[in-house]
Amino acid sequence: MKKEFQLLDRREFFRDAAKAAAVAATVGAAARASAQRARPNPFAYDVSHLEKTDSKLISHEEIQRWRAPYSEARRLALAPGGELLVASGNYVTTFSAEGERGLEIALTEPARALTVSEEGLIYIGLRDHIEVFDAKGQRQATWDSPARKTWFTGLALVKDEVIAADAGNRVLLRYDRAGKLLDRLGARDRERNVPGFTVPSPHLIVRLAPDGLLRVNNPGRHRVEAYSLDGDFVLAWGQPGMGIRTFCGCCNPINFTLLPDGRFVTCEKGLPRVKIYSLQGEFESVVAGTESFPENAKACASRGLGDCTQGGLDAVADAQGRIFILDYVTGEIRVMKQKA
Amino acid sequence: MTENPTNDPTSRRTFLRNGARIAAMTGLGALGGVLAGRSNADAWVWQIDPQKCVRCGNCATECVLEQSAVKCVHSYAICGYCNLCTGYFEPEPNALTTAAENQLCPTAAIRRTFIEDPYYEYSIDEDLCIGCAKCVEGCTRFGNGSLFLQIRHDRCVRCNECAIARTCPGDAFRRVPASQPYLLKETH
Ligand code: SF4
Ligand code: SF4
Ligand code: SF4
Repeated sequence: MKKEFQLLDRREFFRDAAKAAAVAATVGAAARASAQRARPNPFAYDVSHLEKTDSKLISHEEIQRWRAPYSEARRLALAPGGELLVASGNYVTTFSAEGERGLEIALTEPARALTVSEEGLIYIGLRDHIEVFDAKGQRQATWDSPARKTWFTGLALVKDEVIAADAGNRVLLRYDRAGKLLDRLGARDRERNVPGFTVPSPHLIVRLAPDGLLRVNNPGRHRVEAYSLDGDFVLAWGQPGMGIRTFCGCCNPINFTLLPDGRFVTCEKGLPRVKIYSLQGEFESVVAGTESFPENAKACASRGLGDCTQGGLDAVADAQGRIFILDYVTGEIRVMKQKA
Repeated sequence: MTENPTNDPTSRRTFLRNGARIAAMTGLGALGGVLAGRSNADAWVWQIDPQKCVRCGNCATECVLEQSAVKCVHSYAICGYCNLCTGYFEPEPNALTTAAENQLCPTAAIRRTFIEDPYYEYSIDEDLCIGCAKCVEGCTRFGNGSLFLQIRHDRCVRCNECAIARTCPGDAFRRVPASQPYLLKETH
């Protein structure tokens, strides 16, 4: 009996020892794995020092913030009366400058381009065609899709014409106000010294500057270019680089707008930041730096999206020089005023 | 305003891109064939889900092989053929040239080839690539995300438990059928 008892004891001893060893091995492996998971990456791609802006360069402060009504907020526009139009989800919604919600236009797909005429007509660029609405939100016209790969991302009104930026085909299209296609501008043409737009992701914007020339971003060349209405390439400014004076990543600026005096407000993705450049394209100041958009910066840095085509910002400026910024990732609209 | 079709960079680029893409996919496809022929009994292999990878660096250091079986793969269909490729260049390069100090890759495994102003093509020298994901992070963070990691099954020795999978902070490793051993990124 004693012997048996001893045997049992020994068996238990071995079983317990084996169990303890297994637990120790598992714990050890788990600890090793978690240590390996947590340890610093010797191959880290470190841009953390670029995510903080020198406070001396920041010229604006936030005075208000609200959220776009739907997800996938992508575009802002200002009506001549100062109302803000926001394209989010399959809607365009109007807001007073104070953020009070007004008219809402339902669309069949998200809007990527938006502008409003003096008469209150709202021009909306959907992916491959343009729709026109009156000030009450009633659809007045639907223009045909001009080409197979069309992807409208920008709209500007010039005299009695509409200029549409087609990122898919990398051209500007000139329409009359009835939707008749008049001309194609900006396609690469060596004989005319037209460099052509390089658009790695769908961000091509056109604005009319006070000097009467069109301004267009050329994101793959990291610059803003000026064109006559006849399509002559006039000038360009902008440099690639991660530093604050330059345009970062593969393709920036993705958006820009003009202040009442014609200076430029540019928006970048990757390092989301909004900056001001002079009429000649010299860097002046930062409206809001990367630290102001942590979620947006993370959208490109984290997993899940797999690329940086989801992050980004849009901006418009009103007659008082206030700058409205739309954050694609959070859907927030911020109103920025120049610091006293 | 017309454009001379022979000078059309789009068509030429598309041509080049399609050629490269077919070549790239053919390479992986052929390797898949090699793998399928290796063993029918063990029909599952490890692979990385590119959407889950957080570019931690473990793929370069944790593989049981002296040089990791994980390599960078390039999806030409997604690539922007950018002059400032953030997968190729250091975050703040001195110049956009191929000089060693401007390159991000620790082993200079990425080749940059001029196609036509302002387009460049990037390709991976797999013998030099150690799977560190530095270029993947640069491209994902600032570009179109066309660079990503895959276990190359012509190199992987098919450990029962993949040593990298055990430490992967993104839980990016999973078993896939040996007949379809790659998880490719083809669109955004
Ligand atoms: S261990 Fe996982 S997260 Fe890290 S680089 Fe490899 S696949 Fe990506
Ligand atoms: S940076 Fe790393 S993953 Fe990219 S090509 Fe070089 S060694 Fe390969
Ligand atoms: S299964 Fe083995 S050889 Fe293959 S990647 Fe994992 S650790 Fe390397």
